Amino acid sequence: MSGDQIHPVPTGFLRRHVFSTDHKVIARQFMWVGFLGLFLGGVMAMMIRWQLAHPGEPFPLLGMLFWPSSGGAIPPDAYNTLFTMHGTIMIFVGLTPLLIGAWGNFCIPLMIGARDMIFPTLNMLSFWTLFLGVGVAVYSLFVPLGAAEGGWTAYPTLSSNIGTPGDGETLWAISIFLIGASSIMGGINYITTIVRLRAPGMTWGRLPLTVWGLFFTSVLNVLFLPVIGSAMILMVLDRVFGTSFYIPATMAQGGGGDPILYQHLFWIFGHPEVYILILPAWGIVGDLLSFFSRKPAFGYRVTVGALAAVTILSAVVYGHHMFTTGLTAMLGESFMLLTFIISVPGEILFFNWLHTLWRGDLRLTSAMLFSMGVIFVFGLGGLTGIYLATISTDIYLHDTYFVVGHFHLTMAASSLFGAFAGCYFWYPKLYGRMLDERLGKLHFWATFLPLTFVFCAMFFSGYGGMPRRYFDHTDNPYTNELQWINELTSTAAFILGAAQLLFVVNVLKTIRSGAKAPQNPWEVGTLEWTAASPPPHHNFDTIPVVLTGPHEFSNPAIRGGKDWIYQTEPLSG
Amino acid sequence: MTRTLLPSVAALALLAAAGLLAPGDVTDEGRGAAPAPDLPPHARAPYGVPLSVAEGARLLAWDKDIERAAAAAEPGRFRKDGDTWVDARGEYAWDAEEEVYWQDVPASTLTRGRQDFVQFCSSCHGLQGDGYGRSARGLRPPPRSFLRSTFKFTKVPGAFLPNDDALLRLVQHGLDGTPMLPWAVSEQRLRDILQYVKSLSPEDSGWRDPTNEIGDVIYTPPDPVTDESHPKHPWYRQPEKAVAAGAEAYHKYQCWSCHPAYMTQKQLNALRGPSFADTAYDASLTYGKLKKDSSYEVLGYHVAIPAPDFTWHVLRYGRDAREVFQTIAAGIDGAGMPTWGRTDPDAKGSVPDEEIWAIAHYVRHLVATYQDQPAERAAFMAGVRSK
Amino acid sequence: MSPIRSRRARTALATLAALAALALAPATSAQQVVDRWRPNPPASSYGQRFDDLFLLITVLIGVSFAIVLVLLIVPVVRDRARPGHKASFDHGSSLHDKRFTAVVSVTVFIVLDAWVLVVAMKDLREGYWNMPRPDTPDVLRVEVLAQQWSWNFRTPGSDGELGTPDDVLSINQLTVPQDRPVALNVTSKDVIHSLFVPDMRVKRDANPGAINVAWFQPIKAGDFQILCAELCGYAHYQMHGKLHVLPAAQYDAWEQEASAIALAEHDPNDAEARWAWDFKE
Repeated sequence: MSGDQIHPVPTGFLRRHVFSTDHKVIARQFMWVGFLGLFLGGVMAMMIRWQLAHPGEPFPLLGMLFWPSSGGAIPPDAYNTLFTMHGTIMIFVGLTPLLIGAWGNFCIPLMIGARDMIFPTLNMLSFWTLFLGVGVAVYSLFVPLGAAEGGWTAYPTLSSNIGTPGDGETLWAISIFLIGASSIMGGINYITTIVRLRAPGMTWGRLPLTVWGLFFTSVLNVLFLPVIGSAMILMVLDRVFGTSFYIPATMAQGGGGDPILYQHLFWIFGHPEVYILILPAWGIVGDLLSFFSRKPAFGYRVTVGALAAVTILSAVVYGHHMFTTGLTAMLGESFMLLTFIISVPGEILFFNWLHTLWRGDLRLTSAMLFSMGVIFVFGLGGLTGIYLATISTDIYLHDTYFVVGHFHLTMAASSLFGAFAGCYFWYPKLYGRMLDERLGKLHFWATFLPLTFVFCAMFFSGYGGMPRRYFDHTDNPYTNELQWINELTSTAAFILGAAQLLFVVNVLKTIRSGAKAPQNPWEVGTLEWTAASPPPHHNFDTIPVVLTGPHEFSNPAIRGGKDWIYQTEPLSG
Repeated sequence: MTRTLLPSVAALALLAAAGLLAPGDVTDEGRGAAPAPDLPPHARAPYGVPLSVAEGARLLAWDKDIERAAAAAEPGRFRKDGDTWVDARGEYAWDAEEEVYWQDVPASTLTRGRQDFVQFCSSCHGLQGDGYGRSARGLRPPPRSFLRSTFKFTKVPGAFLPNDDALLRLVQHGLDGTPMLPWAVSEQRLRDILQYVKSLSPEDSGWRDPTNEIGDVIYTPPDPVTDESHPKHPWYRQPEKAVAAGAEAYHKYQCWSCHPAYMTQKQLNALRGPSFADTAYDASLTYGKLKKDSSYEVLGYHVAIPAPDFTWHVLRYGRDAREVFQTIAAGIDGAGMPTWGRTDPDAKGSVPDEEIWAIAHYVRHLVATYQDQPAERAAFMAGVRSK
Repeated sequence: MSPIRSRRARTALATLAALAALALAPATSAQQVVDRWRPNPPASSYGQRFDDLFLLITVLIGVSFAIVLVLLIVPVVRDRARPGHKASFDHGSSLHDKRFTAVVSVTVFIVLDAWVLVVAMKDLREGYWNMPRPDTPDVLRVEVLAQQWSWNFRTPGSDGELGTPDDVLSINQLTVPQDRPVALNVTSKDVIHSLFVPDMRVKRDANPGAINVAWFQPIKAGDFQILCAELCGYAHYQMHGKLHVLPAAQYDAWEQEASAIALAEHDPNDAEARWAWDFKE
């Protein structure tokens, strides 16, 4: 490509490590914010599960630190803040920076054979806007009347100043806006980079599925984050400047707005958001299953088509979150039908993944275990979506723990497993060190088993009729009969939380003194493995020329006794 | 450097906008605070909600009878100095001129109480504690206005202001059958909220009026049905005898002038004596009367609350005989229910203790037997209404 | 990359499986409460449809997931990397593969999705959305006003008309007759709530500024739990009530008495008392 210049490495601590425009540095910045988010969200989850299993009992160790006025027990207003911030932080400060910020930033230029993103400064801005958003969210925890308490969905009028006076909710809305802006910037960057900066020979048909997943995620980011941004602007206007976008005329101070407007705006964003979180994971899984089965990804074009179909359809299924709000019958049935239709490309993905494994040569590394784990948890979670897509069963199951179990399996567990798979896979390239494989596999099983238990148990409590977001299920006789499930779930959740220490230990142990990573420890042919571990500032000495696809494993045309080939090498014969 | 300056400035501008929302300085005269004249007070928009209290408050603590209160506070904290008591912590002070003890509640306590009040209480009781919360509109009974310093169910006779413990127990109990919940807020936070609520007394009234007295829960003697120190009492371990006596006492003391009667007209006349032999009663004898409740005023109108029908309505603060005893004995401040008991164990109440206990057991018997039992109740009331 | 040491992995798996079995073992703590994990048997006329469809979906997805599990486990066992073992080379892009994919997709859609869709549409049309006309004499109209944090209910009373002094108003308790349709108009005073009666399998959001309609017909007498199913603040968990279903004769007697008491308690001078009850259809 013309204009290919190798710029000198920047000097100065700030330029190199803080305000760097190097996508690899930014990727690491996103990764650590992601880990921090997962940690914070995880601690909050432990607090929530503690309160649910042992209502009114002081939270061990940290209880007296946070809530001295109640003797260390979690008060009801703090509990509402906990589940609100748990959801917000896990999605926006945990998974998004990790999957899209970190793996997107790291993988895209390397996998397509570019030196960096097409807009490096925009990239840096994207990180710092996220950081600012996180800062606003953290600041909101310390204002009088506390942080946001309306759930991460923040429906008005509870989230309007009528339902929640104080600054916490306003600051929360601002932080969502900023984090959304960060994602939009990132999305623009990724799309343009993938379109414009692919190395010669890197056709659309030779892109790794990871890049395809990130591409479609970025399309959704760019299209739908502005919607949540506008929803948040309207909310801030209502809360601070006295407008009535969401406040109906029947309220004493209302002026003809509609709280359902917010729900539409939120879920037009909210449903694509869950696909935003899962598409990179699907892409990573598609690639890794092929890499570690030593077989091509089955039905590459069909898989890409399925990803595209999911992307397009994700916009028109959002109404299934609103079945009980009083939608007309026609609208409800349309959303039901479309939600069923979107399951078809998802099912095609499964078909292709399983076919990739079939008669492969499986190398069960930690990254592979997590990828296969995605098949399991997303299969289970996705299938339970059928109960919720069907209006007649959703009427009972809406806003019960059934939904919580469903979305944790599909959104949280699957994306998280995809993120972990990416961690175990690219860590050698990112840091030049190998993670301990045994610890990694132990981490997988110690995570996978309790996680499955926790969220499957929620299917039972939800089926039993236990509503969400209750501070204390023993307060009424009906859900009191389901309390035993809460106790079991919490025990498993504590095990799940503790198991993540295995990952922390693994990273801390190896980041400076782990085994040095070879250039290509997994024997995989995508372009990032042609660079050094870690790659130099300019990634590639010369821009690679691509001659083969990313999944040419066990191709009989490969010579030299290998079962893999670099994308820069030709297939003979 | 310039490339990072621009986004930093933009971010700071955003933060400054957020900072505009900082509470504390904004008073009620801020944006949107005064509603248009034709809008009800429920329309007070919670913009710029003041969350911090600038000054502490001086609230009535207790009267000269401090020994009991001092013992309830920390031992060693109070020291007798001549005729008065000195508080080592300086929170309670004796005013020699007014001859009352005041409590100096610091602004920090009131701020914490104010914030928790806005969190938990303001949706019904209003941001100013005047009962005009956004959820309160149309509620009957309407939420209490704390500006009147009157509470109905504290078990403290209306002649006194309730002490902190009585108020605390009231909030923690909740009022059954109303939206006033038994709040799961810690006691420490509740006490701060209560200090704030007390500070809402207008100038020279309620807890700011030195001529008022702080009272304790009404004197509650032991229940003859369960009092082990008097096993020879005819009702000991025989509640049905107490119930029978209570049925008689209830109708003898004309509780039916407000509450329903649970006897036929004939039986009632027989009970009242020969001079009432042929009295005919209003058809509404077996229904509770609607009474203007002076403790509730909504938009200038005193709201009327019916005296409860014990076979039908949920008792607000009467889950057992003891609680019912205390409600009867203390009365209900502001409503039509007078103080039938006595505060001083040595004084005499309007109704003897034993008979109040009997009525309490009778009331609980009516509740337990007929509430939520529509068939039984229908049969019972049909019997009562027969000629 | 060396292959995993299968013996170690098997030991680790066995240990974790034992732990999992322990975790899954039923609770042994002393219970005074009757524990359950299912809803109570349905108490409304269309409630059984939920249970039946739930069962159907469970069977269908159970079979599907079992197939997925088999297809996942077989390669793990059979196709492990070992010396001399080779993967098959197949891009899966042949026409045959594409046709096979299409056939499987269509089959899954028909068996899993379309079947459920057909049953669901039938249930909706015949049950959940088959609202009786409110002006039918048999129908009991109930107006539900949700607020932070309690339920206010209004029924027409003996005269059968809403908006008259004998309307029965109650907080957190709703009394309805058995075997007669109950038509609900649900709204809220302040924030969004959701009326949920699990035993009747009915749920409808209470939105401020709008009236949602729902209906059910109780087929059993007794007391049933009412819960709030949309986050509405700190006391969302305390916003529960009781639905009393009385047999017809008992209900008539109850309604008569309730209307008489309501009439005695009606204060015509209190202009604000019935502010929120002016529901315009």
